Amino acid sequence: MIEVENITKRYGGVEAVRDLSFSLGKEQVLGFLGPNGAGKTTVMKILTGYHFPTSGRAEVEGFSVTDDPVEVKKRVGYLPESVPLYGDMTVDEYLLFMAAARLVPAPERKRAVESSEAACGLVPMRGRLIETLSKGYKQRVGLAQAIIHDPPVLILDEPTSGLDPNQIIEIRSLIKELGRRKTVILSTHILQEVEAVCSRVLILNEGRIAAQGTSEEIAGTLKGGDTWELVLKAPAGTGDTAVKEKAARLVPGPEADIAEDGNERGIFRMNFFAPQPGEADGEAIFDWAVAEGLKILSMRRRKLSLEDIFVKLTGEDSVSNEGARDPVPEEKA
Amino acid sequence: MKEPKALILAKKEFTAFSNTPAFYGIAVFFTLFCSVWLFYVQRFFTMNIASLRPYFAVFPAAFILTVPMITMKSWAEERKLGSVELLLTLPFSEWDLTLGKFIASVSALVLLLALTLPVPFSLAGLGRFDAGVIAGEYCGALLLGASACALGLLLSCLSKNQAGAFLGSAAVLLFTMLINQFGAALDFPQPVAEGINFFSLAFHFESFSRGIIDTRDLAFFIISTVLFLFLNTRVILFRKWR
Repeated sequence: MIEVENITKRYGGVEAVRDLSFSLGKEQVLGFLGPNGAGKTTVMKILTGYHFPTSGRAEVEGFSVTDDPVEVKKRVGYLPESVPLYGDMTVDEYLLFMAAARLVPAPERKRAVESSEAACGLVPMRGRLIETLSKGYKQRVGLAQAIIHDPPVLILDEPTSGLDPNQIIEIRSLIKELGRRKTVILSTHILQEVEAVCSRVLILNEGRIAAQGTSEEIAGTLKGGDTWELVLKAPAGTGDTAVKEKAARLVPGPEADIAEDGNERGIFRMNFFAPQPGEADGEAIFDWAVAEGLKILSMRRRKLSLEDIFVKLTGEDSVSNEGARDPVPEEKA
Repeated sequence: MKEPKALILAKKEFTAFSNTPAFYGIAVFFTLFCSVWLFYVQRFFTMNIASLRPYFAVFPAAFILTVPMITMKSWAEERKLGSVELLLTLPFSEWDLTLGKFIASVSALVLLLALTLPVPFSLAGLGRFDAGVIAGEYCGALLLGASACALGLLLSCLSKNQAGAFLGSAAVLLFTMLINQFGAALDFPQPVAEGINFFSLAFHFESFSRGIIDTRDLAFFIISTVLFLFLNTRVILFRKWR
């Protein structure tokens, strides 16, 4: 159970989180999505008691993060973004220390270490010094310490960064599994991860919630919004600006993104986003092209994916493509 | 029985000390420095006095370098590695964390002091040493060291890296150790000199090195230790609001 009400966090003059509210029940996996600097990590730091909010109220399992930080910390497993490990300890030593530090009773510590090692696939590495492990294994050690005391709430800051594709799948299924019994918050900028793991999504931008709900719900709020990708051939001698003018008659505003194909003269690529269902469809595009004297060489409609929504909401064009699924193109016309 | 939280951290910290070659370097430096001082500089055997006062008198000077070496890593390294985020999200209060670090540092110091024990033991047969005086001297060294450790921890908490923590603590310790010498050398009026002496760690150590346990000095060391530890917890807490 997590309740966040109107929290604001200022670092000096910078507002990292502005008036943010959300709540999350048991057995839910919430994904924080947002460009770098959107405030994802800040919210997590507040929920783990590492930072106090400048104003507002946050509760974890009924305990306030400012008034009862120790009670909150007992109930939270946290994997920080920069996985902080002690390099000069072995995996076993480190996890035994973390089990003690997370207040697992002494007789149960060994078993807790063993089960979290098994869950994170660390058994073959248990005797190794942490500093000799690869990044993927270090990430798993970080995850193992977060779940060692079987906390009701898990907060994972980019849990799959640095892992190879097989490890990503393993860790994702582990998180999904944990999400059946616990409240989990994870942050990522891998959009596929959110679609694969999270039951709810919260898109943050500049410290505010840009959208929230299930990934289908978010897509639903922008219903009918599709991305069109056209390749057009203009009559010889048609300039860049002329094509832009023509495009403006189909999609008003700055929506269309037109570029001349470098190799072939007179070939233009045009991508645009149609937020309203009626704004453009295949037939209209065809009629427009004929009326403007353009020839359609290729025309594809892409269904709105979480990735498009993300780009749309956060206005970032350089979204990390790491692990992102190829959009499924839907051929038309 | 539940293990005190501070001890969980202290145990880990102390294990880290014992796994660091640098710590053994510090131990060798400390024992060598004090012994060379006693046997070569002070020429213990030619003095022909059954007293270890010159030996203990050099402890404050040795602490100027050794205590910062012990404490510099504590917070500064955690901050640099980012593992401070892990520590601060453990279900520990600021006092648990600070005390954990403090107990580990003082334990390391106790180990250093224990390494000097062979000196009084091996000399014991040569003359009639006063065991009570030597015990008092060790007690004073420990209190002085504890106070210096608390100060070192505070400065480590305030600095961004180990080097800064070391230089800062060494400079402050040097100043507080030597400040009473200024008072003596510059011939200040009595109240000023007393005021200066009050802040001098070495001055409060003096009576211990004579084998006297003065409650004023005892109180000074205990209060200064608690004060530095308290400030340390406030610094940790303050950072959360930053």
